[in-house]
Amino acid sequence: MLVQQYLPIAILVLFAIIMALIVVFTSVIFGPHRPTKKKLAPYESGMTPIGPAVRRLPVRFYLVAVLFILFDVEIIFLLPYAVVIRQLGLYGLIATGVFVVILTVGLLYEWKKGGLDWE
Amino acid sequence: MFTELQEANFLVPTSYYVILSAVLFTIGVAGVLIRRNAILIFMSIELMLNAANLAFVAFARAFQDLSGQVFVFFVMTVAASEVAVGLALIVAIFRSRKSIDIDELHSMEG
Amino acid sequence: MLTESVPLMQAVVPVLPEMGLLLLLILVLMHGVFSPKESRRTVCVITGVGFFTLMVIHLSVGFNFVGDPDFSGSGLGDIVRVDAFAVMFRAMILLAAALTCLMSGESRAINRRVEFYVALIVAALGMCLMVAANDLILVYVALETASVSLYIMAGFQRDSKLSSEAGLKYYLFGAVTSAILLYGLSLIFGFTGETNFSRLGPALSALTANGSEGVFALVVALLLVLVGLGFKVAVVPFHFWTPDVYEGSPTPSVAFISTASKAASFGLLVRFFSIVWPAEMIPYWAGLLAALAAITMTLGNMLALVQKNIKRMLGYSSIAQAGYALIGVVALSDTELGAAAVAFYMAMYVLTNLAAFAVISAVEWNTGSVQIADYAGLSRRSFPLAIVMVVAMLSLGGVPPAAGFFGKFFLFSAAVDAGYTWLAIIGVVNAIIALFYYLTVIKVMFVGKAEDESRYTIRPRLAVVLWVTGVGILLMGTLASPWWRWAVEASQQLTVMLP
Repeated sequence: MLVQQYLPIAILVLFAIIMALIVVFTSVIFGPHRPTKKKLAPYESGMTPIGPAVRRLPVRFYLVAVLFILFDVEIIFLLPYAVVIRQLGLYGLIATGVFVVILTVGLLYEWKKGGLDWE
Repeated sequence: MFTELQEANFLVPTSYYVILSAVLFTIGVAGVLIRRNAILIFMSIELMLNAANLAFVAFARAFQDLSGQVFVFFVMTVAASEVAVGLALIVAIFRSRKSIDIDELHSMEG
Repeated sequence: MLTESVPLMQAVVPVLPEMGLLLLLILVLMHGVFSPKESRRTVCVITGVGFFTLMVIHLSVGFNFVGDPDFSGSGLGDIVRVDAFAVMFRAMILLAAALTCLMSGESRAINRRVEFYVALIVAALGMCLMVAANDLILVYVALETASVSLYIMAGFQRDSKLSSEAGLKYYLFGAVTSAILLYGLSLIFGFTGETNFSRLGPALSALTANGSEGVFALVVALLLVLVGLGFKVAVVPFHFWTPDVYEGSPTPSVAFISTASKAASFGLLVRFFSIVWPAEMIPYWAGLLAALAAITMTLGNMLALVQKNIKRMLGYSSIAQAGYALIGVVALSDTELGAAAVAFYMAMYVLTNLAAFAVISAVEWNTGSVQIADYAGLSRRSFPLAIVMVVAMLSLGGVPPAAGFFGKFFLFSAAVDAGYTWLAIIGVVNAIIALFYYLTVIKVMFVGKAEDESRYTIRPRLAVVLWVTGVGILLMGTLASPWWRWAVEASQQLTVMLP
C-alpha cells in the first residue's frame, strides 16, 4: 500500500527522463553539425575572453567563510536559547552570557587584528 | 536488544538507519585511506562525523530521548571549528610547498 | 535537568579552574591586542603566573572541598565530576601549562605571539574538563577542544616546513581517530540510551548480563573507543604521529603536548575504563591492552635507540612511557592500585618531560640545534642545564633517586598484584634497554668535547622551570609516600558514588 502512494511520483520521474532524452537525442540526430572556430570559442557576453577560465581565489575568501561559520554556529546556539529563555532563568542567562562574551572577545580580537578589513 | 521499545510503531526500523550510518562511516574511512589530496581527506572526515550524527539521531528517536540530538548539536559545532583550524593548516602547508598532496609530506626521517 | 535553580556552590566550585581559565583567556587576549607593543613581550610571564595562581587556588579549593560530605562534586548538571582523581590530574595539567608558558619565552618559533598562549589556555581548559568528565557529550567536546588547540600549537610556526607538516599530520590523524571515537560513543549511546557515566555503568551491566550478544556488541564499541583514546596516548598502532610532531613542532608545544595531553588522556582513559565498562567486559580489554602495552614499550624503546635528534628520541621515548603507563591501566582490571600507579606515574612524567624540554629549549635558543651530538660538553657550557637533564634522564630511565624509579616500581607491583607478572617482566626488561639511550645523552653531555665552550646564561624564567621540575623530581623520588598516598586516595574515589 505504500508503493501505491508513490506510484504517481515514479511515473512523473519516468516521464521527465523520457522527455529530456527525447529533446537531447532529437537535436543530436537531426541538428546540423558544422563547427567553425568562432562558434567553438567560450562565451563571454559576445566579447573576446580576458584571462583564464578558472582563476585562483584570494585567500581572503577563506577567512570570510571561516568567520561566517563560527558566528553562524553561535546563532545556532542562541536561537534555541531564545525559545526557552524564560524556563532557563538566571542560570541559563549566565551560561549563555558567558558563551556570548567569549565569542565577542574573539570578535574584538579579530577586529583589532584587521581580520574584518578586505585588504 | 530493543525489545522494550515500541519498534512496531515505527515506519522505518532503527536498524535501517544504523546500517546506513555504518555504510557511510565505512565510505568515509575508505576515503581517508585512499585519497591523496588533503581537502578530500577533510571531506571524508566530515562524512565520518556525519555518519555518527545519523546514528545519534536514530538512537535518539528509538529511545525517545533528546540527548542524542543535543549531542549532534555539539558534534556539528566541533566539526565546524575543527574544519576551520584544519583549513588554516592546509593554507600554511600550501604556502610553503605549493602542493597539498599528502604523499609529499616526508621532510622528517622515517 | 537545568530547569530548577541551581545553588551557586554546586554550579561554580566544580568548574572553578575552567572559569579562571576563561578569565585568563579574556585577559590575555585583551592584553595581546590592546596593550602597547613593548609591553606585549610580557605575555608569557603573565600567562605563566596566571596558571600558577589558578593551580594554587584549585589545589586549595580541592583539598578543602573534596571529601566534604556536603559537597557533591558534581557540577553543571552532573556532567562534571570533581573527585580527588580529577583534582590531582587538573593540578598536573595547570602546572604543565604554567611551566610551558615560562619555557616558551626562549623560543624563536613562538616569538611570544599571543595566539600561542590563547591556544595553550584553551587546551588546558579542554584538558581540565576531560579529566573531570562524567558524560559522553563532555568527553567528546572536551577532547576535541583540547585536541584542536594542540593542532594549532603544533603547526604554529607557519613558515617552517617542518612545523606545518607536523601540524597537518597531527590534525589528520587526530581528526580521523576522534571521528572513530565519536562513532564508538554513538554505539554506546545506542545500546543504552544514556550518556551520563553514573547511569551508563548500571545500564551496560544490565546489557551484558543478558547474554553474549550484548557483550559482542559492546566489544565493537570498546574497540572504536580504544582507537580514539589510544591515539591521544600514542599506543602502538596509533603512534605514527608522535615522532614527526615531536620533531617538527616548536619545542614549547611539544613540551605541553607530551606532558599535559598525555596525562589528561590517561586520566580520561582510567576514568572511562573503571566506571563505564561492566565487569563482564574485562577479559576483552585487559588482554588486548596488555598485548598493546608490551608491543608499545618494545617498539618505542627499539626505535628510540637509533635516534640522533633529541626531540625525536624523546618522541619514541614517550611512546614507550605510554606503554609502561598502560600496564597500570591493565592492572586496573583487577586492583584499584592500577589507577593509583597511573596517576603517580603521570605526575612523575609531567615533571620529568618538562625538565627535559626546558633544557632542550635553552640549548636550542643558544645553539639552534636539536641534535644529540651538539649536546657535547654541556656540563662545561652550563652546569645547571646538564644537571637537570641528568635528573630528567635518570627519572625517565627509572633510576633512583629520581622519581621514575618509584613510578615504575608502583606500576610493576600493580601489574603483579593483578596477575600480569609476565607484563611486569617485559616492563623491567624494557626499562633496562631504555637506559641505554638515556645514559647516552648523559655521556655525551659530560664526556663529549665541544668546539665552542662559551658559557650560557639562564634567564630567571627558565631558572624557575628548572628549579621546580628538578626539585620536584628528586622530591618525588626520595619522599614518595605522600604523593603515593594522594594517588591511592584519588583512585579510591573514582568508583565512589558522590552524594
